[in-house]
Amino acid sequence: MSDVELIVQVFINGILFGSMYGIAAIGLSLIFGTMRIVFIAQGTVIVLSGYFCFWLFHLFGIDPYLSLIPIIIISLLLGTGFYYGLFKESAALKDRIGSLLIAVGLMFFLENFMTVVWTPNPRAVVTSYGFFAFHIADINITLTRLIGLVLAIVATLGISIFLRKTLIGTAVRATSEDAEASTLMGINPNRVNAVTFAIGIGMAGIAGITMATTYSFDPVYGLDFAIKALVALTLGGIGRVVGALLGGILLGLIASLGAYFVGTDWSQGIVFAVFLLALTFRPYGLFGGGGGDKA
Amino acid sequence: MKDRLDTYLKKDKRAIYLIIIALVVIALGAGPFYMDVDTSFTAYYLFICFIYIVLAQGWNLVAGYTGQISLGSHAFFALGAYTTAIIWVQDVTKTWYYFDPLVMILSGIIPAIFAIIIGIPLLSRLRGDYFSFGTLAAAEVLRVLILRGGDFTKGAGGIRLPGSVFESMEPYYWVGFLLALLATAVVYYVTRSRIGLALKALREDETSAASHGIYILQYKVLAFAIGSFLMGVCGSLYAYYLFMVQPNGVMNLNWMFLPILICVLGGNGTILGPIVGSFIIAALFSYADIYVGQVHPMVSGVIIVLVMKFMPTGIMGLKEKISPHR
Amino acid sequence: MANQLLEVKGIDVSYGDIQALWDVSISVEEGTIVALVGANGAGKTTLLKTISGLIHPKKGEILLSGKPLSNLKTQDIVDLGITHVPEGRRLFSDLTVLENLKLGAYTPSARPFFADSLERVYNLFPILKNRQNQRSGTLSGGEQQMLAIGRAIMARPKLIMLDEPSLGLSPILVKTIFDLIGTLHEQKLTILLVEQNVNQALKIAHQAYVLKTGQIVMSGRGDELLANEEIRKTYIGERVRKR
Repeated sequence: MSDVELIVQVFINGILFGSMYGIAAIGLSLIFGTMRIVFIAQGTVIVLSGYFCFWLFHLFGIDPYLSLIPIIIISLLLGTGFYYGLFKESAALKDRIGSLLIAVGLMFFLENFMTVVWTPNPRAVVTSYGFFAFHIADINITLTRLIGLVLAIVATLGISIFLRKTLIGTAVRATSEDAEASTLMGINPNRVNAVTFAIGIGMAGIAGITMATTYSFDPVYGLDFAIKALVALTLGGIGRVVGALLGGILLGLIASLGAYFVGTDWSQGIVFAVFLLALTFRPYGLFGGGGGDKA
Repeated sequence: MKDRLDTYLKKDKRAIYLIIIALVVIALGAGPFYMDVDTSFTAYYLFICFIYIVLAQGWNLVAGYTGQISLGSHAFFALGAYTTAIIWVQDVTKTWYYFDPLVMILSGIIPAIFAIIIGIPLLSRLRGDYFSFGTLAAAEVLRVLILRGGDFTKGAGGIRLPGSVFESMEPYYWVGFLLALLATAVVYYVTRSRIGLALKALREDETSAASHGIYILQYKVLAFAIGSFLMGVCGSLYAYYLFMVQPNGVMNLNWMFLPILICVLGGNGTILGPIVGSFIIAALFSYADIYVGQVHPMVSGVIIVLVMKFMPTGIMGLKEKISPHR
Repeated sequence: MANQLLEVKGIDVSYGDIQALWDVSISVEEGTIVALVGANGAGKTTLLKTISGLIHPKKGEILLSGKPLSNLKTQDIVDLGITHVPEGRRLFSDLTVLENLKLGAYTPSARPFFADSLERVYNLFPILKNRQNQRSGTLSGGEQQMLAIGRAIMARPKLIMLDEPSLGLSPILVKTIFDLIGTLHEQKLTILLVEQNVNQALKIAHQAYVLKTGQIVMSGRGDELLANEEIRKTYIGERVRKR
C-alpha cells in the first residue's frame, strides 16, 4: 500500500470513527443546549446500548441493525425516565454542579452494574458479514463502519427534520435559545426537556449499535467516549445538530491522523490541545453562526 | 436595647461554637495518643478525611473566588504527586526523609505555576461551562504529557518510591492533620482578607467589576494558584502514603469529582462545608467499600443522586433553612 | 363596579433573601389600558413576572376574573389568557418570523385558532408577512417589537402585558407603537403597560400606578397623574404651567 493510499485509509477511518462521536455529540449538545446539563454519563449509556445489542445478538440471534428498532424505543423511554426521575429538579433550578454530579452518580451506577452483571471482559458484536469490506485500490472500507456512517447521517437528518418541521421540535429549538421566553409562550418546559432528553438518549442508543459492531468495548469505556463527545459538541457549537456531527468527524480525523503520525498517546494530547485552542478562539463553534451562549 | 441583647447572644453562640471546634481539633490532633494509628480503622478513616479536606478546600477556594467550576483538580493533585516522586527518585534535594517541607512546598508550587499558565488565558476569556471544559482539556493534555514523559515520568507504569523510612502511620496522620488545618486556615484567611472581600464585592456588582478589569483577573488567577497549591501539597502527601505514583491512580477522574461532590454536599461557599462533606464522603466510600465491596460504586452513585436531588444546597445549606439568621 | 379582569392583592415578592415588592396591589379593569410607571429598578418587571408566574409571591394573591393564579405554572397562566411581552422582546432570533408566531399560539386554547390569529397579526403588521421566512434576528428594532407583540397576540390573550415596548426605538417608531396599543385597545384587548416613557404612557392610560422601590406610591386616572406636578417633576422633568 503506497503512502498516499495509507493516508487516505487513515483519513477515511477517521471520518467513519468520528461519525460515531458525532451522534453521541448531537445528543449531548441538545441536552446541554436546552437544560445546561453536562450529561457525562452519555458514553456509559452508549456502552449500555452496546451491551443490549450484544445480548440481543448472542441470545436471540437478532441482527444488530434490526435491533435498532427495539433499542431506539428503549432509549427514548430511558431518556424520558432519566429526565423525570433524575434531572427535572436541577434543570429547573439551573443547578449546573448538581446536574453534573447526578450524571456522575448515574455513570458510577451504570458502570458498576455492567461490570458486575456482565463482567469486565471486552465484548464485540461480530456478525457473519462483519469482516466484509469494500476495496478501492488498496483501501479498505469495512461494511460495518460504512453502515455506521450512514446511520449517523440518517440520524442527523432525522433529528434536523424533527427540529425544524414539527411544532415540538421548534419548541425545543426555542427553549435551547431562551428557556424563560419559551415558557412565556405557554410551552411546558418539562415536556420539552423530556423530549430533548429522550432524543439525546436515543442518539446514544444508535451510537451504541455502531460502536458494538465496529469495536470491542467494556464497561468502563464510556467516560473517555463522553469526554470526546464533549469536545465534538464544543467544536460544533452548542445546540447545533449538524455542527455536532461535523465536530465529531473532525475529531475523528484529528485523532486518526494524529495516531498515524505521532502515535495514539500524543494524538490524544493533540485532540485536547485543539479543543483548548477552539475554546479560546472560537468558543461558539468552528462552523460559523453565532447563536451565542446564554450562560 | 434589643439590638444589644442580640449581639451579646450572638457572641455567646459564637463562643460556644468556637469552643466546640477547638475541642474537636484538639481531639483529632491528639488522635495517635489514644488510638493505635497503625491498626485502627478510625485512624485510617481520619487520614483519608484529612486528604479529602485539603483537596476540597483547594477546590472550594477556586469555586468561591473565581466563581467558576474547575474540572481540573486531578491535574493539580497529580502534578503534586509526581513532583514529589520525581524529586525523590532523581535525588534532587539529597534528603532522604519523608515530608521534607521543601519537597512538599515545591510540590505545591509546580501545580500553582501550571495553574497560572492555564489560568490567565482561561479566566480572562472563558465563562461558565466553557471555562470548565477548558480546565478539563488542560488536565487531559497534562495526562498525555505524563504518559509520554519517558524516563522522567516513567509513563503508564508510574514511579515507585523507595521503601519507607517511617514504619508507622503516626507521622502520616499528623502531617495530614496539619495540612487539613493549614488548608482550612488558608481558605479562612483569604475569605477574610482584602483579596477575598474585594473579589466578593466585585462579584456582586458586575458593572463596577468590568471597570476594574485587570485587578479582578489578577485576584482570580491568584485564587486559582493558591487552590492548586493546596491540591498539589495534597498530592504530595498521597504520594508519600502510597509509594506509587501512576497516571491511573493520581490522575484518576475520581480526584476530579470528589472535591466537587464534597463541597456541594457540605455546602458551597462555606468554610466548614468541605470539612463536613469530607467526613461524610470518606465514610461513604470506605464503609461502602467494606460492606458492599463489589457494588460500592453503585451504592455511591445512588447516594450521590439522592443527595443532589433532595439536598442541592448541601448540609450547611440545610442549616440555613432550619434556622435562617440575619 | 366594572369587571376587574386582573386583581393583584397585597403581594410580597422576593428574590431569595432580597425583597423586591412590598404589599403591592393593583387592579386592571377589563377593556382598559393600565400603565405602571416608575424608575429603573422600582420593581415593575418583577411585578409582571409575578403575574405571569415566573416568580411566586410570598404573600398575597393574584386573581384573573376572580380565579386565583398564585400557584399556577406559567404555561397554565398563558393558557388562561395572560400574555407577557418581556423587556427586550426576547425573540427567538434563530427562528423565523413565522416560527416565532407559531410558538406564540402554542397553548391548547390558542392552537385551534392559529390560522385566524395569524391573519389578524398580518393585518396589523403587514411587514411581518413579507418577512415571514426570515430569521427574526435579522429584523430591525421596530420590526422586532412588532413581532414580539404579534407573537403575544397569537396566544389569543384576554390581557397583554407589555414591558417597555418603546425601549430603544426612534421617536417615530415610538409613536407607531403607542398607536398600535390604541388599536389593540379598540380591538377589546385589556392592556397592562410598563413604561419608562411616562409621558406617552400616561397619555393613553385610563388608569395608572406609580411604583417606587417596590411599593405603590400613587395611583389614579391617567390624565390626573399626567397633570400631577410631582409626577411631572420626577418623571417627566417639566414644570407645570399654572393656568
